[in-house]
Amino acid sequence: MTPTLLPSRKTRILALRYVGAIALTLLFLFPVYWLFMISFKTPDEIYHVPPLWVPGQIQFSNYYVLFKDGDVVAIANSLIVAGTSSIVAIILGTLCAYSLARFGTGGENLAMWIISQRMIPPIAVVFPIFLIYVYFGMVDSFFGLILLYTAFNLPYVIWMMRGYIVDVPMELEESALVDGLNRWQVIWKVVFPMVRPGLMATSVFTFVFAWNDFLFALVLTRTEVITFPVQLTHYFGGQSNFWGKIAAMSVLGTLPIFVAVTVMQRYLVRGISLGAVKG
Amino acid sequence: MMSSPAIETTKPARGRTFGRVLEDHLPYLIIAPAILILLLVGLFPLVYSLIVSFQHITMTENDTSFAGLMNYAELFKDTRLWAALGHTAIITVIALPLELLIGFLMAQLFIDRMPGRQLFVALLVLPTVISPIVAGATWRLMFDVRFGPVGQILSFLAGEPVRILWTVNPAYVYPAIIICEVWQWSPFMFLLLLAALSNVDQSQLEAAELDGASYLRVLRAIILPAIAPVVAVACLIRGLDLVRIFDIIWALTEGGPGSMTETISLYTYIQGFSQFETSYTAAIAFLVIALLTVITTLVLKRMELAR
Amino acid sequence: MADVRLSGVHKYYGNVHAVRGVDLVINDGEFAVLVGPSGCGKSTLLRTIAGLEDPDQGTIAIGGAVVNDLRPRERNIAMVFQNYALYPYLTVKENIAFGLRARKTPEIELRKRVNEAAEMLGIGGLLERYPRQLSGGQRQRVAIGRAIVRKAELFLFDEPLSNLDAQLRDEMRGEIKRLHHEITTTMIYVTHDQVEAMTLADRIVLLRDGKIEQQGAPLELFERPRTGFVAGFLGSPSINLIPAKLASTDNGISAVFENGGTLALPASRVSSLKGMEGRPILLGIRPQHFSRATGGALREGVMSYPATAELIQPTGTRTLTTIKIGGVDAIAELQAHDVESHGETIELAVDLNRAVLIDPASGEVIS
Repeated sequence: MTPTLLPSRKTRILALRYVGAIALTLLFLFPVYWLFMISFKTPDEIYHVPPLWVPGQIQFSNYYVLFKDGDVVAIANSLIVAGTSSIVAIILGTLCAYSLARFGTGGENLAMWIISQRMIPPIAVVFPIFLIYVYFGMVDSFFGLILLYTAFNLPYVIWMMRGYIVDVPMELEESALVDGLNRWQVIWKVVFPMVRPGLMATSVFTFVFAWNDFLFALVLTRTEVITFPVQLTHYFGGQSNFWGKIAAMSVLGTLPIFVAVTVMQRYLVRGISLGAVKG
Repeated sequence: MMSSPAIETTKPARGRTFGRVLEDHLPYLIIAPAILILLLVGLFPLVYSLIVSFQHITMTENDTSFAGLMNYAELFKDTRLWAALGHTAIITVIALPLELLIGFLMAQLFIDRMPGRQLFVALLVLPTVISPIVAGATWRLMFDVRFGPVGQILSFLAGEPVRILWTVNPAYVYPAIIICEVWQWSPFMFLLLLAALSNVDQSQLEAAELDGASYLRVLRAIILPAIAPVVAVACLIRGLDLVRIFDIIWALTEGGPGSMTETISLYTYIQGFSQFETSYTAAIAFLVIALLTVITTLVLKRMELAR
Repeated sequence: MADVRLSGVHKYYGNVHAVRGVDLVINDGEFAVLVGPSGCGKSTLLRTIAGLEDPDQGTIAIGGAVVNDLRPRERNIAMVFQNYALYPYLTVKENIAFGLRARKTPEIELRKRVNEAAEMLGIGGLLERYPRQLSGGQRQRVAIGRAIVRKAELFLFDEPLSNLDAQLRDEMRGEIKRLHHEITTTMIYVTHDQVEAMTLADRIVLLRDGKIEQQGAPLELFERPRTGFVAGFLGSPSINLIPAKLASTDNGISAVFENGGTLALPASRVSSLKGMEGRPILLGIRPQHFSRATGGALREGVMSYPATAELIQPTGTRTLTTIKIGGVDAIAELQAHDVESHGETIELAVDLNRAVLIDPASGEVIS
């Protein structure tokens, strides 16, 4: 064989794969791009025929309107509700998971019941929950929504954290027990640092779930604690969609998620597969 | 009492301090708050709903008398309900295999290492983490007949103006919903399958290569069995999500035109929050739970058999 | 002072009776090794002493005080685990200091003790590193260091060397022995490795099925096993057990094999075996008690026996030779050049003075 100047078969395949990868990425990110771009357009540009693929200039009036009208309160509400409920769910869920993982409290049955709670479709419980909330005057309250999302996320947290805790070598805890810690201290000084990465990842996911939820928020909020997905649907309406507002609100509601998930890349697979795939 | 070497021992008094009591009952103390919340917000509404489903409560009447199976019998006569179940089934049956297939092809593209792979994966996963309401809204903008780029691109490809009312025209509402759904969730499948494929035993693949097996044979004999458990889990998670699809439809079509894209979740919502058929809604909810339980159990059974 | 006394200790895991009534006294300053095959209950017993498991029955006393109701942290013990149990998020220094911090030791004292221990173990230069940056041997040293600084009354080791490769294991074994000479604390060491047990122990406690099979000084167990199990467990390669029958001969008693071969037992044994003629036995001969007959006169109790080398495995100084004796395979550990090739027939000298006779029915040694 004589050496040839043609690229080797390997190089050609790699080049093809890059072409495929770039095309695929453009295809999947185009809608996201479109959304972002609209949020920077003026109404004239938004309602231009044919559609313009780049805004004439970057301007923030769509965002400005959201701030001026106070609609961004919905983002703040979402932050409060998703943030608080995640923290509570993480603390209570991790403790519960520790009990399940280390003491087998309640046996396999309790663990199965907990994960089955996750499988219950929200639509099946949202109506009775609504009635109960009406009865107790908890509709449109931060407490009500936080309690709901906490409960909604607990099975997930417990399930995931149980997996992470089981992965912590028992000997680490036993060594600490011999060395002078009590169980509470062991949880805080040994288990917590060991599962911290998993804990962070799980927190991000619980936050995302609560943040993205629409159905519960739709039913259980009125005016005071409207979250961003509900606020977003307020802009839909026949032909007079406020596209600028829709786009700007969507971007505001999506940025935190992008940041959080990008930071948590490494744990994405385990997180979204309910721990079935360790990734 | 016991045959033991005669030893002199002192027995220290067992300290019963408060801290010690806390430690003794730690397994229960730390599990209690979570379980309590789950019972309160998870189980209690279900039980309440079960009771209500055997009563006569409607918007106008708070009639708590025993209705027997009346509400459940009603389910079988409700054509709109069965239509909604049918719509849900259509979406699930079409979207799920599409997501799986596209996810698998995407994973194949990225299975071998290449510089920048991490970045591609990170970008491709973005649609999956977006709020479904935002996803729906985004595609509503995309699909708009005058101001959206989809029509523009199709017109360009066709060489003549293409005007499709995606979210209104009965022929196109399902494709619209499914495109949006597949766009958002194929990356989910991609991510899981990529992880599963990377975990396939390399030595088996190398051995097959040495044996001169064709790609299709390797796929059938080694790769598919190895990734089957992950595929099953992914399909289960996505399947359950698809059956309760709500947000995307709410944002895209609101169940329309008419009730053409009304899914079971949407129908339940309407029965509950527009018609206030309290007892009947509870009965629907249990129908949904029963269906999902059956499906989940079947899938899990098959997974266990496959093991 | 801290002796350890167990009496009537039982432990169940569900239906599994893991420890079945152990009575044991370990004296102050003693190095005791709990040894036995996997599943014999040795680790469970150690964990019970540590307080990581509660016994279902029986008492455990450390230093004269019953500790059944005390938490592990209240027992003043230190423990070294098989997988080192180092905290990956702490430096070596903080790992070693962990127990001291838990007990709120003043910083000056803490630093002094950590440095002392690190010096003693030769890991003084590694204090600022993290466990993942260390080799297996270094990690094990850190784990031991963590135990030393505690200045506990009792040291527990749970198979500390089984994750190390062979060479490192030999080295660390020596270090642990040296450590015991230096700090003279009572130590209880669990292993499944009979070499570790023999080399380290002042007292071997050999466990089987949750019970003590025999305990005593290493050489006592090796030379005077009470059961066939003990004889078989200690020593490498394992003792050869050859089925035979006792028979009277002109000048004493012989072991007659199933294939008709015989070996005359030494005269010193005759009196104790009187009246047992015709009984089946297992004749236990250690591989080391075979040698190649030189042709000269044989010592009292040493018999010659012709055999064919069916398989030879030279190890350098010694050659392990598989032979047939009494119709069954046996291993003889011969000098390097005693046998050169397969199929060679040689005359063996068998030292029966140290042979062990076992009752096949009860498994006990006939003394």
